[in-house]
Formats: sequence, structure tokens, C-alpha cells
Amino acid sequence: MYRRNVWIDSVVLIFLTAAACIMLLPYGWMVLSSLKSNMDIISGKSGFFPEHPSLDGYKTVLRDAPFGKWLFNSAVSSVIITAATLFTSALAGYVFAKHHFKGKKVLFLLILATMMIPFQVIMIPTYLITAKLGLINHLFAIILPNLVSSYGVFLAKQFIEDIPQDLLDAARIDGTGELRLMLSIIAPLILPMLSALGIFTFMSAWNNYLWPLIVLNDMNKMTVPLALVYFNGTHVVNYNVVMSAAVLITIPVVAVFLIFQKQFIKGLTMTGMK
Amino acid sequence: MPNSTIASRSKQTSAAQTGPAQYRSERRFVFVSLTPVLLLFGVFAFLPIAWSLILSVYTYSPLSGHAVFVGAGNYVRMLGDAVFLKSLWVTCKFVVITVAVNIIITLLIAMAIQRVRSRSLKDLFRTMFFLPTIAPLAGTSIVWSTMFHYRDGLFNMMLAKMDIAPVQWLSDPHYALLSVIMMTLWADIGYNIVLFMAGLDSIPDMYYEAAYLDGASRWHMFRHITWPLLGRTTLFVTVTTVISYFQAFPQFQIMTKGEPYNETRVLALHIYDQAFSNSNMGYASAMAAVFLVIILFITWLQLKWGRTQWEY
Repeated sequence: MYRRNVWIDSVVLIFLTAAACIMLLPYGWMVLSSLKSNMDIISGKSGFFPEHPSLDGYKTVLRDAPFGKWLFNSAVSSVIITAATLFTSALAGYVFAKHHFKGKKVLFLLILATMMIPFQVIMIPTYLITAKLGLINHLFAIILPNLVSSYGVFLAKQFIEDIPQDLLDAARIDGTGELRLMLSIIAPLILPMLSALGIFTFMSAWNNYLWPLIVLNDMNKMTVPLALVYFNGTHVVNYNVVMSAAVLITIPVVAVFLIFQKQFIKGLTMTGMK
Repeated sequence: MPNSTIASRSKQTSAAQTGPAQYRSERRFVFVSLTPVLLLFGVFAFLPIAWSLILSVYTYSPLSGHAVFVGAGNYVRMLGDAVFLKSLWVTCKFVVITVAVNIIITLLIAMAIQRVRSRSLKDLFRTMFFLPTIAPLAGTSIVWSTMFHYRDGLFNMMLAKMDIAPVQWLSDPHYALLSVIMMTLWADIGYNIVLFMAGLDSIPDMYYEAAYLDGASRWHMFRHITWPLLGRTTLFVTVTTVISYFQAFPQFQIMTKGEPYNETRVLALHIYDQAFSNSNMGYASAMAAVFLVIILFITWLQLKWGRTQWEY
């Protein structure tokens, strides 16, 4: 790199530190607000810091709201969606990359084309289909349309194409069935791609708001982001309660991110996915 | 086992194995594995696209249950619908401003982080900027709406410290869109910072060294090395950001609901409201079709510009 300039370096460092502080500010606000007591809020003159720190907000969330149920709904649907998406993407990717059949090109192009379709375009018919299937207010309404991912199929095909054909032939001679072949030989070879896809699928399933908003109304069936917004509407005044709920749903995501950060960043640059 | 052995073995047998049995079992595998996958794509992707386009020439309310064919009626109605036209305008305003500011900020921050020498400090900064992108946007929107509170929100508290009159962040028509833009930028810049950092990493140091020996200024280096070599990344980042901001929804639905005076009524929110609050599913589908055309147009532009700019 070209010559260092201590002056510019320190300006850069100050700029970054200030910007990073701004980025963390809303988190600080969220945590501190969650610790405010009702007294702080009613007095109306509550500052940045809680005057009488209390855990009342957390107690109310855990007592008055089916918080465990929400977490369960989110966890179950996100895990099923992620597992299914990884499986169907690898399977379809394998078929499209290494098998030959009539209409393959057209089918693959069709799947690829759905990547460009904004969700707003298909949400109305998808709602009508889901309603016809009798799934409104059912967790399956969230899971079923998300079992496949065109992006996943596309990525898996790209990565599986690079696997040498000889390796697959060798396994076939040893009598390995196609499904076994995919699970025990192909899957491990594309593991970096699968783990990136898995993390992204899980995150977007966990954070999804629009689709659950359309198909879930029953408070006990809601996933966390949806429930949080609903809960916000019923607890506008006591925002320490809402902030406590926000803290509780942010902690698991942040924890997951900090654990898988390396794979996450790698996946983002590898796939250019958003 | 050495590679050559595998290769020669497979050559012998793959010739021997193209028998009908092998062929049949492969056909069966393709059929059995692809059928459920294609069925799901069919029911939840292909069918809805076609259905949406068909629905756009009907008036349909799920409450009454029967559809009336109106031809281009919905599209004509759009042209005279002040709220729709306004939402189109607001969407463009939101996308253009937010994308432009996003690209400038993220490129600046990415270049700044790249200058940090310590590896761990670099990672720490990247993590801090990336953290908001992983939090659910719905939760983030709620936290930000409390920060925008008139009476005891964070922003008015800070303004009060500076002796500036408080602002109705989310309900003043001059500030509402700006407030949502601030929140969106906070929640979203992490992605592009990471992508720009990767793009900067791929520029070889020797270009800068050569430029330095030639006595080039910092601005010249940026103008003639960094910017052109980053072209591909910038194009990719811009297009994906434009497309994702066109579809921005939770922050608008939660923070402003399109108010005040429809100043924050973006198209995505308007389609949702028409379809699910007003039960005008035909009309909403027609708007969705317009939405689709806009997105496809942007994608086409990407392909067109991409072809000319990627050759350096």
C-alpha cells in the first residue's frame, strides 16, 4: 500500500468511531428504555437513562404475553423452512447440474425467472391459494410456500456443476443410489455454500414480516416479529414493555450472528446475496 | 486412490453401464425428486404470477367472492387515481434518495475501514455496522418509532439539548419520509459495506504503488483506480439496493402507515392496503403488475449497462 499518513489515519479512526457509536445508539436506547419503570414513563420527563431501573417490562412481557409460544412458532417454522430449503435446493441443483432430461433448460430458466418477481406481485394469489387450502392462521401457511427457493436451486446447480463427473461415476459403480450419492458425496462437497444458504434462509424466515402479517391473525399463532408489532399496538403507553420484548427477540438473532459471523460474511461476499 | 485409477475405472464402466437398467433408475430418480420440487414452484410461484396478471383485469373482492371482468379498467383507473400516482412518486423519491445516500455512505465507510491497520479493529468495525442488518426490521421499526416520539423520543431529547424546537418526526409531512429514510439507512448499510469491502480487497495493491511512484494525489488514485475498478461491485450493489428498496414495506407499515397526507405511502404499502384492508384485490393486482414492469425494467437496465461496463 502507498505511504501512510498518520494524520489521515487518525481522522479516519475518529470518523469510524463516531459512526459506529451512532450505529449502536438505537441498541442503547432500546436496552435503556426496557429498563425504565412505569414511574419514569408517567412522569413524562424520562431522559436517556432510566431514573428508577426496573425489570417490570420484562416481567410483563413474560407474564402477559404468550412469549414462549411466539418463540416456539418462529423457531419451528424457521427450522423447517431452512432444512427443507437446503434439501430441495441441493436435490434440484444436483438434478439440474448432473442429469439430462427433456425440457431441462426451459424448466431451469423458469425457476430462475421467479427470482426477479417481487413478493408484492404474487402475494395476493398466494393468499387466495393458501386460503383455499384452509391454512389461514396455521403455521403451515408460513412453511408451505417457503419449502423451495429459486436462489437456492440456482446456487446449488452452480456449485454442483464444478464437481468432477468421474467422482460420481466411481460412486455409482460401487452401487451407491442417487439419493445416497447426493447426501453423502455431493452435500459435503458443497457444504460452504449450503451453510451460507442455510444462515440466510434462517434469518429471512425468522425476520419475515409481510407474509405472516397476511396469513396469521390469531395471537397464539403469530411469529415473533408479527407478534411484537401486534403487541406494540396494545401497549403503546408502556413502552418499557414493548422495548423489553424487542430486546428479548433481538438477543437470539445477535447471538446466532456473532457465533456464525465468519460464515455469514463469507456467504454474503460469495453469493452476493441480500 | 490415485486420480488416474478412478478415471480409468469410471471410463470402463460408464461405457458398460449405459444399459437400460441404469438409464431407467436415473430417469426414476429425476422424476421422483423433481416432481415435488416443481409442484411447489408451480403452486407458489408460476401459478401466482399468472393468476396475478389475470386478476388485474377483474374487479375482485374476497368478501363478495365473485369477479367481474373489466378489461383495462383497473389500469385506466390507476391513471386517474391521485393516491396511486402519489405513491408512485413517493416510491421513486424514497428509492432515489435512499440509494444515493446509501452508496455514498457505504463506500466511504468501507474505504475508511479498509484503511484501519489492525485486523481485529477492522473486524470489530465491520461487525458494528453489520449488526442492524440482522435484527428483524419489524422490531427495529418499533424501536425507531419510540426514538421519533414527540414528547420523550431520543431525537427531540437531543434537539432540546441544543435548544432547538422539537420536531414531529413521523407526522410532519416535511419530515416523515426523511425519518423513514434515516431508519432504513441505519438498518441496511451493513450489507453494502461488506460488499464494498470485498470489492476493495480485490483491487491489486500494485496499481496504487505505481500511481504513488508517479506522484498521483489521493483524489487521483480514487478517481482513476478505485472508482473504475470498483465499477462492477458498484453496479451490483446499486441494482440490488434499488430493487430491495422498491419493495421496502415493514418500516412504512409500522412507523407511518403511509401518513401524513400519503407522504410516505410507497407502492408496496399501497398494494398491501388495497388488497388486504380494502379488499380490492383486482385493482391491487393491476398495481402489482405495474410494480413488476418497473422491477423488470431495472433488471433489464442492469443487464444492458453490465455488458458495457464490465469489460475493462
